[in-house]
Amino acid sequence: MIKAIQNNTESSSQATEMSPRKFTSWQVLLGLTFLILLLIWPQFTTNKFYFTMGTMIALSVIGASSLNLIIRTGHISLAHAAFMGVAAYTCVLSQIYFHINFALACALGCSMSAFLALILGPILLRLTGKYFVLVTFMVGEIIRLVFINWQSLTGGSNGIQEIPRGLDLFKNPTSFYYFSLLISFLCIVFVRRILSSDLGRAIDSLREVESLAECSGIPVSKIKISMFVIACFLVGFQGILQVYLVGYIDPGSFNSEASLNMVVMNVIGGMYHLSGPILGSIFITTLPEFLRGYVDFQRVIFGVVLIVVMAALPGGLMGILFKLKVFLLKALHLEVKNK
Amino acid sequence: MFTTDILSQVVINGLSLSAIYILVALGFTLLFGIMKVVNFSHGAFAMLGGYALFISYGSYKLPYIIALFGSAFTVALISLIFEFLVFKWFYQKMFQSMIGLMGLNMAIVYASVMIWDISERSIPSPDQSILTFGELSIPMDRLWIMSVTLVVLGLFWYFVTYSRQGLAMRAASQDLEIAAAQGINPNRIYKLAFFIAIFMTALAGGLYAQTYALSPFMGERPLMVAFIVVILGGMGSIPGAALGGLILGLGESFLSTFYGGAVSSFVSFGSVVILLILRPWGLLGKPE
Repeated sequence: MIKAIQNNTESSSQATEMSPRKFTSWQVLLGLTFLILLLIWPQFTTNKFYFTMGTMIALSVIGASSLNLIIRTGHISLAHAAFMGVAAYTCVLSQIYFHINFALACALGCSMSAFLALILGPILLRLTGKYFVLVTFMVGEIIRLVFINWQSLTGGSNGIQEIPRGLDLFKNPTSFYYFSLLISFLCIVFVRRILSSDLGRAIDSLREVESLAECSGIPVSKIKISMFVIACFLVGFQGILQVYLVGYIDPGSFNSEASLNMVVMNVIGGMYHLSGPILGSIFITTLPEFLRGYVDFQRVIFGVVLIVVMAALPGGLMGILFKLKVFLLKALHLEVKNK
Repeated sequence: MFTTDILSQVVINGLSLSAIYILVALGFTLLFGIMKVVNFSHGAFAMLGGYALFISYGSYKLPYIIALFGSAFTVALISLIFEFLVFKWFYQKMFQSMIGLMGLNMAIVYASVMIWDISERSIPSPDQSILTFGELSIPMDRLWIMSVTLVVLGLFWYFVTYSRQGLAMRAASQDLEIAAAQGINPNRIYKLAFFIAIFMTALAGGLYAQTYALSPFMGERPLMVAFIVVILGGMGSIPGAALGGLILGLGESFLSTFYGGAVSSFVSFGSVVILLILRPWGLLGKPE
């Protein structure tokens, strides 16, 4: 088994050099420009609203990109927000009851969510396709019911109104924005590193044909479970930071609708490219703000957008961009690379 | 605690709950079995059925039976527009249908928030009196629910088993291509199945709204119920939906009477999770 993995590693590392997985120079340029824009725009405005928006986008990118890790293995989890809630509750409660400092509590919260994923993962990941979607939906509901019904600990459906102070930089919206940008950047780099490594290649192969991947010596269930655990660990950061952004714990923000939103971000952006969830979370988080004042109407539009995207553009926004690129290249009589 | 008096009451409540659940789940399983569509907007159609009954029976005071069937019929007829605009694109595409129909659900629910605002309404009961057989006392409105459901289920069973269109529907659910090769027009079968499914869902939604309360968000619970029942019975299996509805309705009525609502939801979700892990194709379904 181990030998097979080593062989596999060698052969795929040769392939990596020729593969399109490395960034091309214009991609690096685009990414850097984007990053610099994200870093300098706060210098030109003092409006608190934009900072909150920016923080919210940065946080939802964490959730969406970590969910992308699970989606890449071919499973769509509808319990992701519930795991986020587990981390948030653990972090806040451990600070209240054990008086430990924020960093430790944060680590504890994320580990708790990962630990739960480690226990549930091997059982849940035996299922595939629609059954996995349904079972995670149910698990998410069960976790939410625990939040609401364990009143002595979690405060029931009111949540926890008085949360510990956390870090000092949380008081200033600008520094909160930079902090969450940093965390979400690290998260994306981490996910990208996994997906572009040999492990990522193994993930792609087990998604496409699981039995063949297993025959080639890829430890399928081990990889699936570890991706599930890592994703649940990462989404913990979103949960904790979101609680500090809002200022209290609301169990309603960890329900199935929140999980659905994360899936929708992936789907709208395009699932099989890491830029997909990033684009998707920017789109989904900012769209409601453009339609402010028409809260109900905005939801209707949102639903219609979802239908249109799923019916006509299954590749999501990234799919449109890719088609546009192919079209442009063809129009300019250039050769089409990568596919 | 477990006296015959209370137990018989629990059974009657359970049966009337089961009746609604079976209707909701039958529509869901029909759409899944024939079109391979996971209808996440099922609750929205139930909600529309509730509002249709509210308008026809609550506001216009039509006779109960006419109002009940008429409103379900109207909703199913209007929903054919959705079939044409939305569902058509998602037939035989399980994954896309899930997300796309979540979008449809959102659009319908919030459109009805815009039309009817979010306040809860109640639909008057057709008959408040209580029927007594010796020690057994049955509220008349529960009896209405059970008898209406029995009639509809009977008609549905007759239609599926004995009519030519029913035969075509069964054939299409087994193998669409072969059915098409035998001269069955899939598009017509789709429209027929869609109509029947939405009819039953809207009917169940009306009965549900009458038993509990009517609001644009009332669809969440029927959707969840449809999920649980269909998983219990097996996806796409019609007798499975009936069995699952009975188990869930009776179990929920029993548990929530004696142990409270929280326990009953934990048990129903928990048992579904366990069943999904051990026997994902459900009690009466077939393994893939």
